[in-house]
Amino acid sequence: MALLEIDSLELEFGKGEDLVRAVDGVSLSIEEGETVCLVGESGSGKSVTALSIARLVPTPPARYPGGEILLEGKDVLKMSKRELRAIRGGVVSYVFQEPSAALNPVYRVGNQIMESLKLHRPKKANKNEVIRLLKLVGIPAPEARIRDYPHQMSGGMQQRVMIAMALASEPKLLIADEPTTALDVTIQAQILELLKELKERLSMSILFITHNLGIVGEIADRLHVMYRGKIVEAASAEEVLDKPKHPYTRALLECVPSLDKDVDRLAMIPEPEARGPEWD
Amino acid sequence: MWVFLIRRMLNTIPILLGVSLVTFFLMSMAPGGYLDTLSQNPQVSPETIARLKAQYNLDKPWYVQYFAWLKSAVRLDFGYSVQYQIAVTDLIGGRVWNTFVLSACAFVLAWLVAVPLGILAAVKRGSFVDRGSSVVAFAGLSIPEVLSALLALMFAAATKDSLGLPIGGAQSSLYDFMSPGDQFIDRVKHLILPVLVLASVEMAAIMRQMRSNLLDTLNAEYVTAARARGGGEFTVIVKHAVRTAINPLLTLLGYSLARLLSGAFIVENVMAWPGLGRLTMEAFFAKDYYLVVTTVVMAAGLLVVGNFIADVLLAWSDPRIRMEGKRS
Ligand SMILES: Nc1ncnc2c1ncn2[C@@H]1O[C@H](COP(=O)(O)OP(=O)(O)OP(=O)(O)O)[C@@H](O)[C@H]1O
Ligand SMILES: [Mg+2]
Repeated sequence: MALLEIDSLELEFGKGEDLVRAVDGVSLSIEEGETVCLVGESGSGKSVTALSIARLVPTPPARYPGGEILLEGKDVLKMSKRELRAIRGGVVSYVFQEPSAALNPVYRVGNQIMESLKLHRPKKANKNEVIRLLKLVGIPAPEARIRDYPHQMSGGMQQRVMIAMALASEPKLLIADEPTTALDVTIQAQILELLKELKERLSMSILFITHNLGIVGEIADRLHVMYRGKIVEAASAEEVLDKPKHPYTRALLECVPSLDKDVDRLAMIPEPEARGPEWD
Repeated sequence: MWVFLIRRMLNTIPILLGVSLVTFFLMSMAPGGYLDTLSQNPQVSPETIARLKAQYNLDKPWYVQYFAWLKSAVRLDFGYSVQYQIAVTDLIGGRVWNTFVLSACAFVLAWLVAVPLGILAAVKRGSFVDRGSSVVAFAGLSIPEVLSALLALMFAAATKDSLGLPIGGAQSSLYDFMSPGDQFIDRVKHLILPVLVLASVEMAAIMRQMRSNLLDTLNAEYVTAARARGGGEFTVIVKHAVRTAINPLLTLLGYSLARLLSGAFIVENVMAWPGLGRLTMEAFFAKDYYLVVTTVVMAAGLLVVGNFIADVLLAWSDPRIRMEGKRS
């Protein structure tokens, strides 16, 4: 049994004229220990798909007209509040795009990590465990940092704190929604390296969301390409990167800056008006 | 933090100096003075007038008067009320206290009611509570205090037999003959309506603000993150959303005090509450210079102290402000 199995998931916002089908029949599965990438342009529905896994999209305004999300065999869409609280953190943890927004500015980082420990591993809810977690994610001098407020840390350090917080509950699946997009390029590489290392050490599954195909090859076992709420391409990472089928994937691939390509000819994804019928 | 406090405290001095200077200047521009009125009185001899004039520097230009007043004011001697014939300091104490009691009660009531109501309205957005409270708040904001004070007096008069609420004033005529317990009850009874009137506008303003702040923070990513960690809805809302929604409210606390104080001036005058506002008006019409300047400075002082408390609270509540300039 797969750890996560999303089957023909549908998610809508609004009604009548304003109806938006943000997720339109998405199927996706993740095995234990596997890293799956979800790639797609802005607004294609990656975040709402990811948030749905722990039922974090508020309903209303959202609706789930169809599909199911099986997490360890149980449908998340049918879970009670109590069951949901247990899987949030307990089975799935999240790392978000903007660490400065995802950390509460008025609490010390130690306090926020402790919150996760108290909820899921109360026996380990102590300072030593917080320090161990901060060490695990490569924060120097964790004993001192524990009393820092988020605004006293750099973006890269904040993201490490977010990762420590996500790991505190020892989840089986880590969902990282564009965890490096808001960071400097060098820091991006460090965070990516950290995630790769943690994945080996803790044998977690990872759902990695990005719109940069350039980093996919480094981390992903499998790759799903999302376009306008649908999965338009799903295969092993090498396969997709070598022989992209969908025009959107090809366009995405051409966007990846690399050393052996002329930077002047850096491709652009065509505007929606300029996209041919083969896109849909 | 200490540097912040001291710097903030020193800042208040020029404000108070400026306020007193401007008031003095404006009073000197107004034609006539209390002694002109007094000199119409045939029982007061011209010699007495001359003596009083010399004693209180009233024959000198306004800036000389100002500096003389300022010199004694730093020793908490605010001059003499020519109208009441006693030292301003003795006159003003009880009045400041009355205004303080009125504003403080209104303030506490407003915040105690408005903050939970604002939270409820935001959390149950679009519900009956939300809509109902927004209608009431709209009414509270749009009825001026003069009108609601008058309405309150009419209400007290109409329900005199059933509720027995006093129609204006701060104590009954028999106050001095009451036991301490009854005196307290009498004071509270007199406070009820003025406090309600004064608190109503404030309540509405704070409630709306709390509601909109909380609607913002409920959508903040750290709230989603807290929920994603498996926190209960109550913890998520109170610990994460409400806690941060309070910060911008504290910035408004200073304005809140300013509004209360100006509201108190109106309420005091309409409802015969013997506070600073009423005293200022009386002194102003009687051209009792030193009294006017002192009451205005006192009012400014209350404001400044209020703003100072607001700043301290905000710094205490928001680490980003507390640590300003200390960033590594
Ligand atoms: N609260 C909401 N109300 C209405 N529509 C929404 C809401 N949240 C998301 N959507 C819609 O769902 C679609 C998918 O949004 P989503 O945030 O999942 O995109 P994304 O792929 O994560 O994009 P990005 O790369 O910018 O993060 C968007 O078109 C958006 O308009
Ligand atoms: Mg997104």
